Amino acid sequence: MSRSGPVSRRSVKTEYIETETGNRISRKARIEGKPHIQLGGKSMIMAGVILRGDLHRKPDPSGDDERKDKTVITAISIGRGCVISTGCVLRPPSRISKDQITFFPIRISDNVFIGPDTHISAGTIGANCHIGAGCVLSPFSYIRENCKILPGTVVPHSMTVPPGCVVGGRPARILGDVGDGWGHGGGGEGEEWIEGGDLKRLVKAIK
Amino acid sequence: MDLALPSAHYACPCSSSPSAITSARRASHISAPLKDDDPEQSTFDPHSPRSAYNLLPLTHLLFCDECSQIRCPKCTIEEVITWYCPSCLFEVPSGSVRGDGNRCARSCLDCPVCEAPLNPTSIGERDTAEEYVLRCGYCHWTSADAGIKLAKSTKLTEQLAKFRRTRVEGASGLQHDDEANVPRVAITEASKPQPRDHDDAFGKLTTFYKEQLSESSDAPNPYGGSNYNSPTNLARIMGIYGGLSRSALKKSREKPQPMREAHGVNEGVATFQPEEDGDERDIVGKMRELGWDDLTSEQQQVVAPVNGDARFTSELWPVSTRLRTKRGKRCKVCNQIVFRPEAKPGSTRTKVRMLAHDHIPKLALQPLNVAARAQDPSFIVRKDQLYVEPNLRPHAAQQYVLTVTNPLFETVKVTLTTPAITPGKVKSRVTILCPEFSIGPAGEMWDDALSSSTASTSRPEDGSRKAAMASLTGGEDSERQPEAGKVWEKSRNRTKVILEIVPGALKEISIVPKAEEAQASEVLGEDEDVLQVPIFVRAEWMAEVSHPPGGKPEPKELREIGYWCVLGVGRIMG
Repeated sequence: MSRSGPVSRRSVKTEYIETETGNRISRKARIEGKPHIQLGGKSMIMAGVILRGDLHRKPDPSGDDERKDKTVITAISIGRGCVISTGCVLRPPSRISKDQITFFPIRISDNVFIGPDTHISAGTIGANCHIGAGCVLSPFSYIRENCKILPGTVVPHSMTVPPGCVVGGRPARILGDVGDGWGHGGGGEGEEWIEGGDLKRLVKAIK
Repeated sequence: MDLALPSAHYACPCSSSPSAITSARRASHISAPLKDDDPEQSTFDPHSPRSAYNLLPLTHLLFCDECSQIRCPKCTIEEVITWYCPSCLFEVPSGSVRGDGNRCARSCLDCPVCEAPLNPTSIGERDTAEEYVLRCGYCHWTSADAGIKLAKSTKLTEQLAKFRRTRVEGASGLQHDDEANVPRVAITEASKPQPRDHDDAFGKLTTFYKEQLSESSDAPNPYGGSNYNSPTNLARIMGIYGGLSRSALKKSREKPQPMREAHGVNEGVATFQPEEDGDERDIVGKMRELGWDDLTSEQQQVVAPVNGDARFTSELWPVSTRLRTKRGKRCKVCNQIVFRPEAKPGSTRTKVRMLAHDHIPKLALQPLNVAARAQDPSFIVRKDQLYVEPNLRPHAAQQYVLTVTNPLFETVKVTLTTPAITPGKVKSRVTILCPEFSIGPAGEMWDDALSSSTASTSRPEDGSRKAAMASLTGGEDSERQPEAGKVWEKSRNRTKVILEIVPGALKEISIVPKAEEAQASEVLGEDEDVLQVPIFVRAEWMAEVSHPPGGKPEPKELREIGYWCVLGVGRIMG
């Protein structure tokens, strides 16, 4: 740890911006298209994370103009108590149809842990998932609740992972089921956080 | 076993007392009693080869409240609740599971090369008719590689089955009429090798044997008298005691027609056909010409029966996705349901979930020194922050905080016992400074929140100035010294005690040179340098006895539970 002298204290404010709802966002994260990103609260976005909110679905030109202005199209929505570790990239998946690129939103539910250096283009990630480091979640992959994705897994294009599965390998295969007590307990006062459990305390604890 | 230190694993009692479960079932197999098989007397050795199968993390353990015992995957019976396709999450009715070959009969197909899901992709030009191929998003295999093009993007399995049938029949279509008439000619005719469809052959075989079975069971079988439930046997008994005519009796004594085995192609027998030499040579020549990548691997062949005979990747056929099951669990001893998920494939809710986590005190070990605390390897959030396994120096005493958490709603008296010297090749010394203590009852969540303010005063939490000072000086609560016989810290349903551990040396230094056998026995196996402390936990509490409403409340009953818990501390350095 470097010595924090009085000079550096002024210039380095804090690494994280804390929002009203308790989200902690690193100043070193690169966030594009802020209006198109939703954060549920008490979530953590760490340094070096790239959120491509600018890759959102373009409003339908044929639709009526009134609705176009009012509705905000979300490209990335992240639930409560999620941790997005350093170096992750969240890039909404796209599909080419009728000579046009259409982007689809990424939806991440509550208490999802995403390890460092993971690339996410998935359509949906269910609640209480634990995604290891260095994974690739290919476009339109669909991760259901209570899943564990081992480090270094490549989830192929449009794969569905059913609830409560352990997934690993390149390409990902379902290796087994998570324990019956997945996510149960832990996360309490002074307790260790456990995989699939409540991550709000982990969000608080990260310095 | 993937060790993430420090760890806590719990031993299921089913391994130490096999009598309860296995004796009834396999009494004949246990010939001689094992040495020192009294589980009450012997200590649990975490390094013994058997223990790898007994130790489980708490999340994998269930609890049977009828037997008041921990239940592990080995001592529960699984029962399938639903079959479902993992890809489309369709719940397959149990009747059609076998008929579909345990595979999804809808449009879920996997790549035969890499097992990733396949997607129908349009390849047709805009003005011409649409054509589809199945494309793997991972390895970019397309069904066009196998010459499969489909007319529409729905009902894929059906289209594929039709396509395959026409292909197989196209190859051997000329012979079909001959086969039906002259069944044995095809075997002798070596000049006409034919690719045969396994499903077709299987269907023929089953129909043949079903016919045979029905034929043979028509004639009453006098030797198969063990089963009186079947109507034919019942009829026979009635015939014997019912006073039949002489001719009928004689007829019943007639030997039944013996069952014939299938022969001939139209009965479904596939025999080895010595193909023409040229054919085999062609294949060998092709193998020589083509690279390794064009040959199928064993994995690709065994993953589905469709590809069992495929030698080249161009012959591979898309594979239907295998079904998965949702299973409930019952206690093997008393048949009580301990785990039952909801039947819907997409649901994560459970109807019954008896977790060990809610029934037994939980143990967690951490070094007393905050600076020495290892990071949880599954929660590493920075890439530059790699997981370092906690290393221990031999003969250097270390103090650890053992946190025992009570999930029960009664105050629990806990007694911890551990062997003074850990079992295994590396002898380490372990002392529990306070082996007997009580833990308060678990309450509602808001109780926790209310008491947290008082709990935090007893120990400085992270972020406070005191904690920062403590971490700088290298020891938290440096003014406080662990005392023997005293609890380190106590909060509502959690008690912390101190453990003193002196890791042993990996190699014992001796002046006298040892015999070769002694040296050989000292060679450490895998993970034998990991310091693991077995602790026997005994918990006692007064439980309320359930009584009928309106009845006289009965006095509380003493309950107890005992189990081995193995705490992984760290790896001893050589």
